[in-house]
Amino acid sequence: MANTKRYWSGLDELHETEAFKTIQEHEFPETKSVDEFLSDDRLESTHTGRRDFLKFMGFSLTAATLAACETPVIKSIPYTNKPEEVTPGVANHYASTYYDGQDFINVLVKTREGRPIFVKSNGRTGIGRVNARVNASVMSLYDSARLEGPTKEGESCSWATIDAAVKGGLEVAGRNVLLTNTIMSPSILRSIETLKATSNVEHVSYDAVDYGAFRAAAIVDFGINSLPSYQFDMAETVVTIGADFLGTFADSIFYAERWAKTRRPENGSMSRLHAFETNMSLTGSNADYRTMVKPSEQGKVAAALLSAISGNSATNTLSEVANAAIQSAATDLKKAGTKGLVLAGSNDLHTQRLVNAINAALGAVGTTVLFDHEKGLFQGDQAAFQQLLKDMNAGKVSTLIVSDCNPAYDAVNAEEFIAGLAKVKTSVSTAMVADETASRCGMIAPNHHWLESWSDLQIEKNRIDLVQPTIAPLFDTRASGLSFLTWCNADAGMDWYTYLRSTYNGSYAAEAMYTDREWNEAVHNGHMVMGDGVTETPAYTGADVSAAILNVNKRTGGSFELALYQKTTMGVGQHAANPILQETPDPITKVTWDNYVTMSHSDIDAMGLNGFIGQEAPASVVNVVVGDTSMELPVFPTPGQAPGTIGLALGYGRGANGENIGKAAFQSGESGSFDTDAEGNLIPVGANAFGWARLNEGLVDYTQYDVRVEATGGTYPLACTQIQNTFMGRESIVKETDFTSYFSERDAKKGSASWNKLITLGVHEDVNADGTIDALDNKPTAAFDLWHEHAVEDVGHRWGMTIDLTTCTGCSGCVTACHIENNVPVVGKDEVRRHRDMHWMRIDRFFASDYSLKKGEEEGTGVIESYRRMEDPALNPQTVHMPMMCQHCNHAPCETVCPVAATTHSNEGLNQMTYNRCIGTRYCANNCPYKVRRFNWFNYPGYKKFGNFNPAQDSLMRMVLNPDVTVRSRGVMEKCSMCVQRIQSGKLEAKKDGTPVADGSIVTACAEACPTNAISFGDLNDKGSNVQSISQNNRAYHALEEIGVKPNIFYMTKVRNVEPTQA
Amino acid sequence: MQREAAIREPLILGDKSYKDITDDVVGPIQGPAPIGWKIMITISSIIAVYGVGCILYLIGTGIGVWGLNKTVGWAWDITNFVWWVGIGHAGTLISAVLLLFRQKWRMAINRSAEAMTIFAVIMAAIFPGIHMGRIWVSYWVLPLPNQFGSLWVNFNSPLLWDVFAISTYFSVSLVFWYIGLIPDFATIRDRMTKPFAKKIYGLLSFGWSGRAKHWTRFEEVSLVLAGIATPLVFSVHSIVSMDFATSIVPGWHTTIFPPYFVSGAVFSGFAMVQTLLLVLRKGMKLESYIHVKHVEYMNIVIIVTGSIVGVAYLTELFISWYSGVEYESYAFINRFSGPYSWAYWIMMTCNVISPQLFWFKKIRRSLTATFALSIVVNIGMWFERYVIIVTSIHRDYDPSSWGEFYPTSIDIGVFVGTMGIFLTLFLGFARFFPVLALNELKTILKSSGENYKKIQDKH
Repeated sequence: MANTKRYWSGLDELHETEAFKTIQEHEFPETKSVDEFLSDDRLESTHTGRRDFLKFMGFSLTAATLAACETPVIKSIPYTNKPEEVTPGVANHYASTYYDGQDFINVLVKTREGRPIFVKSNGRTGIGRVNARVNASVMSLYDSARLEGPTKEGESCSWATIDAAVKGGLEVAGRNVLLTNTIMSPSILRSIETLKATSNVEHVSYDAVDYGAFRAAAIVDFGINSLPSYQFDMAETVVTIGADFLGTFADSIFYAERWAKTRRPENGSMSRLHAFETNMSLTGSNADYRTMVKPSEQGKVAAALLSAISGNSATNTLSEVANAAIQSAATDLKKAGTKGLVLAGSNDLHTQRLVNAINAALGAVGTTVLFDHEKGLFQGDQAAFQQLLKDMNAGKVSTLIVSDCNPAYDAVNAEEFIAGLAKVKTSVSTAMVADETASRCGMIAPNHHWLESWSDLQIEKNRIDLVQPTIAPLFDTRASGLSFLTWCNADAGMDWYTYLRSTYNGSYAAEAMYTDREWNEAVHNGHMVMGDGVTETPAYTGADVSAAILNVNKRTGGSFELALYQKTTMGVGQHAANPILQETPDPITKVTWDNYVTMSHSDIDAMGLNGFIGQEAPASVVNVVVGDTSMELPVFPTPGQAPGTIGLALGYGRGANGENIGKAAFQSGESGSFDTDAEGNLIPVGANAFGWARLNEGLVDYTQYDVRVEATGGTYPLACTQIQNTFMGRESIVKETDFTSYFSERDAKKGSASWNKLITLGVHEDVNADGTIDALDNKPTAAFDLWHEHAVEDVGHRWGMTIDLTTCTGCSGCVTACHIENNVPVVGKDEVRRHRDMHWMRIDRFFASDYSLKKGEEEGTGVIESYRRMEDPALNPQTVHMPMMCQHCNHAPCETVCPVAATTHSNEGLNQMTYNRCIGTRYCANNCPYKVRRFNWFNYPGYKKFGNFNPAQDSLMRMVLNPDVTVRSRGVMEKCSMCVQRIQSGKLEAKKDGTPVADGSIVTACAEACPTNAISFGDLNDKGSNVQSISQNNRAYHALEEIGVKPNIFYMTKVRNVEPTQA
Repeated sequence: MQREAAIREPLILGDKSYKDITDDVVGPIQGPAPIGWKIMITISSIIAVYGVGCILYLIGTGIGVWGLNKTVGWAWDITNFVWWVGIGHAGTLISAVLLLFRQKWRMAINRSAEAMTIFAVIMAAIFPGIHMGRIWVSYWVLPLPNQFGSLWVNFNSPLLWDVFAISTYFSVSLVFWYIGLIPDFATIRDRMTKPFAKKIYGLLSFGWSGRAKHWTRFEEVSLVLAGIATPLVFSVHSIVSMDFATSIVPGWHTTIFPPYFVSGAVFSGFAMVQTLLLVLRKGMKLESYIHVKHVEYMNIVIIVTGSIVGVAYLTELFISWYSGVEYESYAFINRFSGPYSWAYWIMMTCNVISPQLFWFKKIRRSLTATFALSIVVNIGMWFERYVIIVTSIHRDYDPSSWGEFYPTSIDIGVFVGTMGIFLTLFLGFARFFPVLALNELKTILKSSGENYKKIQDKH
């Protein structure tokens, strides 16, 4: 049938008018053949001569060349259907909870265009403040070593294959075991219960770092299986015996904030912290009194403290210094009474029982020490784990499911585990990467990353914390709980979310997903409250500790003792592939990308080892012999290390057999390729020290009482961000005082207190009008001006920051937060060694020296020699942690020297850096008295040297970059911008609302990350702002005030709670 | 005609006529290249090419190939810059200042000293360029009208003053040098027989015909340019010194710097002139024109300027103590006792102690001793800049950032490379340019020539 339909585009066409016909004829230009065109005679009269032709050619060529020189165009693909909650350029925050077996905390996850890019504390509704490790953990989501799906014998396979193989394996006779770390998720535990019930599976759990002695001691002394929860905010005197509660010890994530609450001198009182420890820990560096004791003496300290408190005068073998310190600690504890708090880090039952006895004697249980409060962390059962190893090696285990743990790396006897694993018929791991354990299992059924999954966690009796996904799973992964259900045929086609919901609501149906108000509120807040939260104080029943005292007093050590510890940045090694954490310097040693033996200067000198680690001064290598094992390790001279002891960090040496756990876990050479050993294997960063923990009475003890240390004559470069240890008596940089002196002048006007005097400069005019011009004629530095005043006072905003040196613990959370927020490049070990770390925010760590110019004068030492001695820190020094970043000077020396005005002052008091304009003369960096400017020596996002660890060079990890912040190109200077992107967006929000910017609505990444609130940010021109009132406090000062650069950053004089003579 | 006291030593030795002078200067240009020259230019070209290679690698990879770091942002780059600029000082001083002071002895050395100046300033100009992180936008330091909005350079920055100072100095020196060359080029043109060379020298001589009018204009222009160039001699290095003096870095922030740098520059410039000329006179058989008396005069300048520099060093030390400023005094204590004290003591020995040997007439008039000491002085002056730059910033205000600087092979390659380029240029000059201002020399032949003096004595 012929199609008679006719379409017309307008009435003109329908009626075929003349006008329409003409237009239609000219709709397309007439086509003309080339011959026709060239034969046109009129062409000859036109003026396109040879010269013009060449000009046009030249122009076209140049234009094409120039166009080709443009930066490559990267196309963005817009949403076809824009999700309702996603607005490009606007960040969304989701409440979630972080738990990795070590750290637990409620967090807010910032996502941009659906990508999680930042993790911060969920301060409003959650508990805890993020530390450096949690903060940087977002990187692991984008680790290119993550498995893209299930694998069997190293080959990828389908989930059905895995499921069938595991189900088949579970049916074979023999022990079926599920090995995990401490599982705190009620839903996963519920799925494990099902697995246990239906498939004859036993559940064994162990922790990478064992805290079994704490629970065992609580059972003996209080009849309750609980980890003690310390209430530092209630304590007046804290005595820690080797527990690094500000850094890595147990619930440290909650402790720093609580402890800092008692460290504000403005309150009129401060808690006092006594530390007895072997290695210089973060806690020890913040202690008011710190005493060096060997690992074998830690139990004796507890015993001596107990006898001092209970009034016995038992003798002990401790040194005089230690005994004096114990007496003074005991005096302070008795004064504090129920507000005293003693804790010990040693995983030794006897020591923990003594600590319980002390706390009980003080009456502190129930006030500062709570049992029955937390149920979650560190429930591992080392004995069951050891039994499992025996059974595995005896061939009794037929199926092993490994989840959320890595025993082939971190078990105390990992070799045994590896040998046993080979005898297990069916082994499957739920690890996200083929780590040491997973790569040795027959199958891997990868779990989601925590940012991709739903989960629930219970740390306290009365609350459930929720984990919500912030991105769809990047790869073909499956929640481990769902895997367990699948393997026992109990999944019933249910998805993990539905299963999770049904844990709390048996009758949950999918329709309720959006209507369950209570649940949605819980997800929004990140947790839900269950019950009233009342905790009982169990009665102390462990009166007889004489056996414990006898046991600890028997201990003796050899020529060297070893104390294993965790670094604040690395934890137990779960973040080994995280380049940002690897590059974050250890808060004490300032070393990046390595672990090493820490040793006292006195031992270093005695052994003739290198006592100064510099750019071209590598560390000496020693051979450390523990029993029949030995390792060659570099030595870092660490002030505060007890003489006769060495320390070694856990958490390094991941991927020692080349397991693909992530590129940043391996050493890269100067050329950018991985370093390899003689056999061509990759060399991991650092050495694994877990093997040197020892089993003692069924628990893992992280010390060795007798190790041998032999000099080898070898050297090994270590990359430090800071090589000068002392502040050379420069009191205008670091101001500190003792609490008594502070208290006596607490009401002094700013600038007049003896511990924070305004710095004045002599002038040649009669200022004090006494008729003569002499040394008494001084003016404050503010009176001297070479340049015009920037009109920032009382005009608009003036962004500023205050940093309290009293509460800054040096934890480095601000360093990582700044690193991630501002796309700070990761430059690797070799560049850090060359002093080219790029941190915008760094923490200067100063040790006190025994020497001073004054002492030199008294002793008749010359000035030169005095200065030289002042470079050496004391054997057991006091420590200052001083966060340092661009001070945003109002008279910035960097601004005047830039020839192209690439760094200028904003009218809001910011010293701003215009990357586009910078030509890279580096004069600004030379002229910066705080040395906070960082130069892009190479093209970090592209140069081959950085290919293995720079996030911008990894196609997956690049996703973590903050789209609000430019990735800087080679040859430009960069530095702290005071998170100008946050300031701008905060101002925009306020403008949209039509209100002034509210104090606290804009927070920089560092201030946000600070667990102790030592850093405050705000508008100094806002009279009601927090930062303005702190800046008026009499402790506030400007670093290097006398050079008159007028910073917008204020430091607060450090107050130590020590007796005046020792400040 | 001018007459000169007979007691003065003659400036031109031997029995020279006007023709002899022309022959001595133009002869080598006309003749074949000597074997020694060929060997030297081969070596220097290889070094130059290696240097260019290092520079290209630097530009291609990043400033990180040097040993600089977060604490020490300038080291060899700016040391080399200041060193070369300093060397570039002698030429203009000799031709301009000595012209104004009617010092006839300058005529034997001014041409090559000026050539040295031009080449040294070119070498110097390389460093501020390549030390930039982004050399491809280096033209932003010029106050050009642009389309970036009303974006202007920062007139407060001494680096900008540097741009003006160096470019002015370079252009004035170049013009001054070239004006002087014109009559000499004309002489060469007239003697050349090969048509191509004749053509080239004809072009270079700008149609000089030797008329009295030309000579008058020549004299006038020379005098005017000398007037312009004289303040530049002082301004360039004063401004270079302000790169440091206007900063707040202890050890840099010093008001003594401008005079101290200028005398240091003259000091090193004369030393370099000595180094080059002592080889040149031997190689090109110019012993009659550049002889012991010239060397002695220059050695006297070296004693004077070297002593000024020495006083400046001691003044700095005194003031750092007298100021009572913690950072200032530590900067200087660290200079002579810290990790870089070896550099400080090299500087002190080479710059303060060694030139004092010239008080002895025997040493002052010994060509071998002069050659050796001129090299010592140049080493000392390089270390002076290194000491000022590196030891001041490697330990400044904040001890947490104290660090050290270690040069890389590229640092060394670029520096040595610029010496290669410089020598190549200078050897080219020696081969194709009149190395003495022959027409000027002729004006003093009859007053200061040895044979004419003898004739004078007889009357």
